[in-house]
Amino acid sequence: MTRILVAGNDILVRPESRVMLEAKGYHIITCLDVQAATSHFLDDPPDILVLEKGLGGKGDRGLIRMVSACLQKANIPILLVIRQEEMIAGIDWCDYPVDDIICFPVAPETLLIRVQLAEARMNRVFDNNPLSKLPGNTSILKAIQSALESEKPLAVCYVDIDNFKPYNDHYGFSQGDDVILMVARVIVNVVDEIAREQSFVGHIGGDDYVFIVTEDKAEEVCKRVLANFEAVRNMFIEPEDVKRGGFVEKDRQGRETSFGLLSISIAVIPTNHGKFEHFGQVSAAASQLKHKVKALDGNNYLVDQRESYSPG
Amino acid sequence: MEDSKRQQFRAALRETKNLPTLPGIVVKLSRMADDPDSTTEQMGKVLSKDHILAAKLLKLVNSAFYGFPQRISSLSSAIILLGFNVVKSLIVSASIFEMMEDQDVELWEHSLGCAVACSVVARRIGVDEPEEVSTAGLIHDIGKVAIKMELPQEYEMITRLMRERKMSMRQAELEVLGLGHDEAGGWLTKSWNLPTKLIEPIACHHDPRLAKDEMLSSSIIHFSDILIRGMGYGHAGDDKVPALSKRAWQLLNLSPEDINFIIDEVEEKLWEVKGFSLEIQAETENSATNG
Repeated sequence: MTRILVAGNDILVRPESRVMLEAKGYHIITCLDVQAATSHFLDDPPDILVLEKGLGGKGDRGLIRMVSACLQKANIPILLVIRQEEMIAGIDWCDYPVDDIICFPVAPETLLIRVQLAEARMNRVFDNNPLSKLPGNTSILKAIQSALESEKPLAVCYVDIDNFKPYNDHYGFSQGDDVILMVARVIVNVVDEIAREQSFVGHIGGDDYVFIVTEDKAEEVCKRVLANFEAVRNMFIEPEDVKRGGFVEKDRQGRETSFGLLSISIAVIPTNHGKFEHFGQVSAAASQLKHKVKALDGNNYLVDQRESYSPG
Repeated sequence: MEDSKRQQFRAALRETKNLPTLPGIVVKLSRMADDPDSTTEQMGKVLSKDHILAAKLLKLVNSAFYGFPQRISSLSSAIILLGFNVVKSLIVSASIFEMMEDQDVELWEHSLGCAVACSVVARRIGVDEPEEVSTAGLIHDIGKVAIKMELPQEYEMITRLMRERKMSMRQAELEVLGLGHDEAGGWLTKSWNLPTKLIEPIACHHDPRLAKDEMLSSSIIHFSDILIRGMGYGHAGDDKVPALSKRAWQLLNLSPEDINFIIDEVEEKLWEVKGFSLEIQAETENSATNG
């Protein structure tokens, strides 16, 4: 059952359109104003948004931003309904990062076929991690490659969770999933708030993530990610383990070992100075640096200081 | 009170969708949301002074969609996990009172005062998570707001009983609905998937003996509610100080020095809150004249 949220005047979806869509198994929720649409979206995110341009003044853009930032559902297609005169005047697509437009008045068969197309396109969409909904390896590769080609100095930051495997064994995979999701949220929200420009967040898989931000913001983002993680972490750990400062679990050789609490390590690789040519070199440098960071106790980040890079 | 009637009230309260916020709070937060220089943390400070938005924030972060059901009990963690955009959306979606009454401001002040008292008492006793106790104190009367919004006719009857028969609000609620705002708040927060740490102190703030896991937090909120009424800050809907539970009092085990310290500390912390409250009321009046 695909749920379509229609935000705008109730003439957007005429009764005959509704009948046609519902016959095809779509469920339609109509909200007449931005406040109701936002409220509905927060409670119960739909699969597709049909939005009337100009709803609530600039409120329509706020709604689009919220949908684009929705982490529970990646890639909710947004269909913008515009009028003939708006089409002639032109639209700044940076203000309206939508997936498709429909011209008013909307014929029922047009609406149906556009909705179906939007759905099909969404299903083709790449490689998002099913748990965190963040872009996966193909996108990460592309993002790092384009970071290497960028004029602006950027930093590729590799994040992983220390003691995650024993935590997962000790607490069970469902709690492990919660922690993976929590760290994804922490990273996305920090990057979004303080370093949105030219940024990217991806999920390699398991407890490994990558984010890219401009180099001047990298340390600030790392510090905030670590602090926010520290603030939230204890909600995912039993109070007695928090008091003890760790837990006992079998290590990879099957011996009972005591592990410290979850913490985060970030390896920061600045891309400037042209020291990297391709993705492989970045990830090799990162894995060397990651060993160093992970050897430190607790939450840490380290910035790669080497001027030149030689493999091995 | 027949059971079916009680069930019907219960169902109505569980379905509560509309919990309006003071216009002044929404105006202030909307302004912050539009300001590119404001941080999530600054907005969090304001959000954590409003019992309605705080409750909505916790409802959101513990909803199945966000993936952390029954887990997040602190407002600062909720804000870290939801992020700036969602917090802004929450503010956009906030409804405000169509008809502002003085008592709405007074209940907000009482809730905020109770949160301050909870935080002072929890720190004095040395509980592990004082912030969570203070959050439970902030939203302890959420059931009152739900009854007022969802059951307006019964709410009228409750206020009439209070006036005519000099009853406390809770006595009148029990008479009219067969249940009190404490129980109603308990169901509401349970249906929102909030953690037990918050549900129990809300549901048991008039009788902490009923708490299974959170008797200490429930006792702190119970005592803080009484204390803040006694100190005359805000107004919880009636002017009757609830009876102090003996069990709660034993559990808190406060010495005369503790009490002196707590009263001084709460007095001091209330100054800041009073300033904030004046600011919000000025915003509310502005929005009424300009709106």
